[in-house]
Amino acid sequence: METFDALLAGFAVALTWKNLLLGFVGCMLGTAVGVLPGVGPAVTIALLLPATASFDPTGALIMFAGIYYGAMFGGSTTSILLNTPGESATIITAMEGNLMAKNGRAGPALATSAIGSFVAGTLATLMLSIAAPAVVEIALKFGPAEYFAVMVLAFTTVAAVLGSSAVRGLTALFIGLMIGLIGLDSQTGQARFTFGVPELFDGVDVVVVAVGLFAVGETLYLATYLNRGVDKLETMRGSIWMTLSDWKRSWKPWLRGTALGFPFGAMPAGGAEIPTFLSYAIEKKLTKHPEEFGNGAIEGVAGPEAANNASSTGTMVPLLALGLPTSATAAIILAAFQQWGLQPGPLLFETDPKLVWGLIASMYIGNVILLVLNLPLVGLWVRLLRIPRPLLYAGILIFSTLGAYGLRNSWFDLLLLYVIGLLGFVMRRYDMPVAPVIVGMILGPLAEQQLRRALAISQGDLSVFVTHPISASILGVTALVLIGPSIWKWISSRRDASNDVQAVGYQSAP
Amino acid sequence: MEKRSPVHMGELLIALALIALGSFVIYDTQSIAEIHSYSQIGPRLFPNLVGAGLAIFGATLGWQAVSGGWRNVPLDQEGHDAPDRMAFVVISAGVLLHMALIGWAGFILASTLLFVVVARGFGSQRPARDLLLGGGIATLVFFIFTVGLNVSLPKGLLGGA
Repeated sequence: METFDALLAGFAVALTWKNLLLGFVGCMLGTAVGVLPGVGPAVTIALLLPATASFDPTGALIMFAGIYYGAMFGGSTTSILLNTPGESATIITAMEGNLMAKNGRAGPALATSAIGSFVAGTLATLMLSIAAPAVVEIALKFGPAEYFAVMVLAFTTVAAVLGSSAVRGLTALFIGLMIGLIGLDSQTGQARFTFGVPELFDGVDVVVVAVGLFAVGETLYLATYLNRGVDKLETMRGSIWMTLSDWKRSWKPWLRGTALGFPFGAMPAGGAEIPTFLSYAIEKKLTKHPEEFGNGAIEGVAGPEAANNASSTGTMVPLLALGLPTSATAAIILAAFQQWGLQPGPLLFETDPKLVWGLIASMYIGNVILLVLNLPLVGLWVRLLRIPRPLLYAGILIFSTLGAYGLRNSWFDLLLLYVIGLLGFVMRRYDMPVAPVIVGMILGPLAEQQLRRALAISQGDLSVFVTHPISASILGVTALVLIGPSIWKWISSRRDASNDVQAVGYQSAP
Repeated sequence: MEKRSPVHMGELLIALALIALGSFVIYDTQSIAEIHSYSQIGPRLFPNLVGAGLAIFGATLGWQAVSGGWRNVPLDQEGHDAPDRMAFVVISAGVLLHMALIGWAGFILASTLLFVVVARGFGSQRPARDLLLGGGIATLVFFIFTVGLNVSLPKGLLGGA
């Protein structure tokens, strides 16, 4: 069992006191930013990038991973108590969980989502430990053409499949690709789109883009459009513990949610939205208490929360084994790898197994830490939700400007931060997703590199992408993913002409 | 849906901006020198693709904007009819003021001011509390990042000599 030995060695790395501590800090920070509306794991990791440049990469990445999945745990707390989904994947939790809280069952809702997240996170990490080496085996056969094809697939799914409109998602992706172009061309060293501004020669830093879009843009949007309403925080009444019947009704949804979520995350299809919605639909069908759905059914929290967590752990498979980020946070973790000159992918498993397996091992430990942090201490986190909005967002902006300015003490980065904040504001206002921007700007330069390498090998012959079998099949899947939904819609609208196509479309959560 | 008028100005403007951006990217790409090495693919190909993509998606969105509006926009988004423009202006001013001041006044003073202004933008009526809190947070953050994490930040006016 080669994998088992590697994992064991990974535990030796993850269990050193320094890495344990960093993992713990990551889980704490992750839970906190998950609970707090207005900040998420992507911004937090981005802000910490410059500060951790001098750290040992293994420890820092363990901390970042802790922030990543810690935010999933924390996010459900906010969804249940505040009914404002921090991200699209927690819409379901915000619905059903908040209804449970309204009925005085906040405790069991929080418990089933925390324990469900733990179960799903642990099982998904186990699947990650098995799947990642298997994907590495395949990836070792990849040449530039295959890498480019798989990146195109990731682009397509991130931009076109998730979210409410493929055109807007793709637009966002291309804005990201455009930002990624700015700077010196990696192969010829020529300046591109720098307008003679020396500050732009190194490109636009991902910290500025992530913080601008997610923190500054979101702050401006909230202040302009949503500051009138008062959030209604549900109080925790009664016991946090689940009754025997709660356990009985939860364990199967946890497992089904995990089984649904992991593959969706692990295929370069990114995003936890689809599996959470699927999990909800399945639990609604299978439940013995259909009357409770829409009134706060525990299955409707347990399943989607597990799916959400399993899928976010699943995204580590393409990230570690292929160097392929399929979410904004994963893209920023990739940027973190790059900060130390590391490129995740099959080679990293060979050159730096201690880092890769230490990171994977730390995720088993992190899930235990998070269960402890979130269940008994949930009252502590709930206090964070009582921070008045003006103070919360004023604080967020202090950290945002610090992140941008701290890069190289240049006011130009602050101007850029504001301009990108305006972009984020407009995108939020007009319902354009921002995550594809981040993925595009990080993955774009890598995709260009692979494209040019592939075409250099083939001496400019574009047919390499369709004559290599692996690359051809990946591009085939991409085409299917891109046009499949519209064909499906067309067929179903033909089948039932009276059926309004709009009804299939996106509806915002109530 | 019935509320939406046939032409959406905001959406149309964004679409036009995207077309303009895409065209500009293609235009500016032509000024990048194409170095012919043994590789046939130079630094122009990818920017051309990106520019074309931006223009095409911009055109698609523009067409949607004049034919009933962008598709599948979530309906009844709260607050969109009554934007609080003042809040937008105040927060923007705070961020830009911070940009202008940080080099001269230093991180702590500029950030404290930013905190007070942003809180005001969100409707805070207690400037004294905001000032104290903002100053406290800015000072704490300054020391965590400069001493603890080795990030260099300007001391400015508070720096003494």
